[in-house]
Amino acid sequence: MIELEGIGRTYTRPGGSPVEALREVSLRIERGELLAVVGASGSGKSTLMNVLGLLDRPDAGRYLLDGEDVSRLGVNEQARQRNRRIGFVFQSFHLLPRTSALENVELPLLYSDRASIAGLGARALEAVGLADRMDHNPSELSGGQQQRVAIARALVNEPDLLLADEPTGNLDEASAGEILEIFHALHASGRTIVLVTHDPNVAAHCDRICRLEGGRLTSDQRRSRKSSAALAAREGA
Amino acid sequence: MNRKTARLAVHSFKALTRFRLRSAFLMLGSLVGVAALTFVLSVGEAGERKILSTVRQLFGGSSILVITGGGRLLGGPRAGAARMTLADGEAVVGELPEIEAWDPQQGLSGEPVRRAEGSGTGSAASTTARVLGMSERSERVWDRSVSRGEYFDAAAVAGSARVALLGETVARRLFGDEDPLGAEVLVGSVRFRVVGLLEPFGTDLHGIDRDDEVVVPISTLQRRVLNVDTIQSFKLLVREPSRIDATAREVKRILRERHALSSGQPDDFTIITAVEVQSMVRKVERVLFLYLPLVAGVILLVASAVAASLMLSSVSTRVGEIGLRRAVGARPADIHLQFLLETAATSLGGGALGLVVGCVAAEVVARRMALGDVFSWQAIFLSLGAAALTGLLAGVLPARRAARLDPAEALR
Repeated sequence: MIELEGIGRTYTRPGGSPVEALREVSLRIERGELLAVVGASGSGKSTLMNVLGLLDRPDAGRYLLDGEDVSRLGVNEQARQRNRRIGFVFQSFHLLPRTSALENVELPLLYSDRASIAGLGARALEAVGLADRMDHNPSELSGGQQQRVAIARALVNEPDLLLADEPTGNLDEASAGEILEIFHALHASGRTIVLVTHDPNVAAHCDRICRLEGGRLTSDQRRSRKSSAALAAREGA
Repeated sequence: MNRKTARLAVHSFKALTRFRLRSAFLMLGSLVGVAALTFVLSVGEAGERKILSTVRQLFGGSSILVITGGGRLLGGPRAGAARMTLADGEAVVGELPEIEAWDPQQGLSGEPVRRAEGSGTGSAASTTARVLGMSERSERVWDRSVSRGEYFDAAAVAGSARVALLGETVARRLFGDEDPLGAEVLVGSVRFRVVGLLEPFGTDLHGIDRDDEVVVPISTLQRRVLNVDTIQSFKLLVREPSRIDATAREVKRILRERHALSSGQPDDFTIITAVEVQSMVRKVERVLFLYLPLVAGVILLVASAVAASLMLSSVSTRVGEIGLRRAVGARPADIHLQFLLETAATSLGGGALGLVVGCVAAEVVARRMALGDVFSWQAIFLSLGAAALTGLLAGVLPARRAARLDPAEALR
C-alpha cells in the first residue's frame, strides 16, 4: 500500500547548518499492518510521519500510495488526499476549544466533497464509545476522552491510513491502555496504522517495529501477532 | 464546491460566537469608524441643506448688503467710525432705479427685555435678547414675516410707534404658555406693545439663535432706545440679478461721494453681494464634504489597522488550529477564506452597530441644532461600503499569513 523509496529530507535553518532529518529511507507497508516507528527524539520519526501524512515533502526519493507517486502532487491535491485517505492522531489532541466533541469530529467533513455528511460524526463518536459525550467541550472531557474524540475525528472520513504521533504521550496508564485497545480493534478490522512512539511498551503492541537512528532506518522487525507476546517474554529474559 | 463554501461559512460564524471577547474587540474598531462616518455624512448633508436654505432666505441672488465700517465679511477689523445713516440708504435708492426694495437695520445685542409690570398674570420675567430696528419693508426684503399677529406698518415706522415683534425664544422665556400678543414688554426702559410673533427661524450661519430676537421699528429704536441717527446696515434687492456687480459698484461710488472719501482712503463700509456669499458657502461646503469625510476615513483606516493587527495576533494564537485544519484536508484557499470571512463578518457586524450609533448621534445633534431631517440613505450605504472595504483590507494580510503557514511547522 505504501512504498517509500530512498526518501531524504534536509532542513536548512537560517544561521544553522543543514539538518538531515531523513536519509535514504526505504519502507514498504502493506494494507492492514500495525506498524510502530520508534527512535530517540531527533531521530527523524516525526519527519517521517509528516512525509507519510503529506504534510511535508521529501527532497529525495519517491512516495507511492497505492502505486501513485503522491509526494509530487500539488498542494491542493495533497490536501484532498489527506482529507480522503489519511487520518491523524496527535500527542496533544489538537481539538478546537469551546467546540463540542461532535463538531470537532465533523471538522474533516467540512473540507470533504461528500454530498451528505449527516450522521457520520455521531457514528464515529459511537465507535470510540463516546456517544454520550457528543455535546461536551474538550475542557469537559478527560485526556483519554479527548484523544478518543481525536481518533473519531481521524476516522470520520473512513481513511485507508491512520497516522498516530505519540498518541499516548500525554495520557496516564489507564487512558493509554484504552487508546491502545482502540488501535487494536481498528487493526483487527483491517485498517492500516502507523504509530510513532519512543515508548517501547507502546511499540510492543505492534506486529512490526521500525527503528530510526539519525534519520536512517536501522532495524525493521516483523512479528506475527501470536508470537509477539512470546517475543516480548524472550526479550525480557 | 458551493456546498463546501457554505459549510465553511456557517462554521466560521459559529466560531466567532465562541470567542465573544475577541470578536467584540474586532467589531469595536469598525463600530467607531462607521459611527463616525455615518454621523459626519448625515450631519454634514443636513448641515449643508440648512446652510443653503438659510443663505437663500437671508441672501438670495438679488441681494446686496451694505454694512457700516470697513473690513471683510467674516471677522476682521472694521476701520473708521460708524457714520452710515438712513439718508445714505435713501440716496442710493433714489439714484439707482434698478433697486427694487430696501431695508435699513440698526440693532443691539444682549439688551435686557422684561415683561412690563401688570401685563399678564405672572410675575415679571426677564431675559436678554438681540433687539433689531427695521423698517416695515423688512418683512419682504428679509423674507421673514409673522406667524401670529401683524407686522408693523409704514405709519408705525414714520411715527416711531412703540410696537414690537417677538421671536419664539423670547416669547417663550417671557410668557411661557401665555399669549404675548397685546402684552407689554420693556426694552431697556422703554415700553413696547407686542403686536406680532416672528416666524421661527432657528440658528443662522453664525450659530446665533434667530428666534432670540425682538424686532421694532427702526425709528423707534434710534430715537427712543439708542438715541442715534446712524444705521448698522441696509439690504438692497435689485431687479436684475445679472447686473448685481455693476449695481454694487454704483452703490460704492455713491457712498464714497457722500462720505467724502478721497481716492487714497479705504471704504468706511462693506458691500457684500450674493457672489461673495456664494464663495463663502463653497468654502463651508469644502469643509463639510472633503475634510469631515476625510477625518472619518482616517478613523476607519485606523480601525482597519487595529482589526488587522487583532486578526494577525488571532492567527498566531491559532497556529495549531490552522495546522490541524490543513492536516484534515483544508486547502490554503480554505484557510484564506475562513479568516477573510471572520474579519468581514466582524467588520460588517460592527459596522451595522456603528450605523445605528451614528444615526442616533446624528439625530440627537440635529434636534439640538434644528438641522431638520438627517436620515440619509447615501450616508448609510457609504458607511456600510466603507466598513466592508476596511474589513476586507484588514482581513487580507492575516488571511494570507494563515494560508501560507507550513502545516508541519504549525502542528509542532
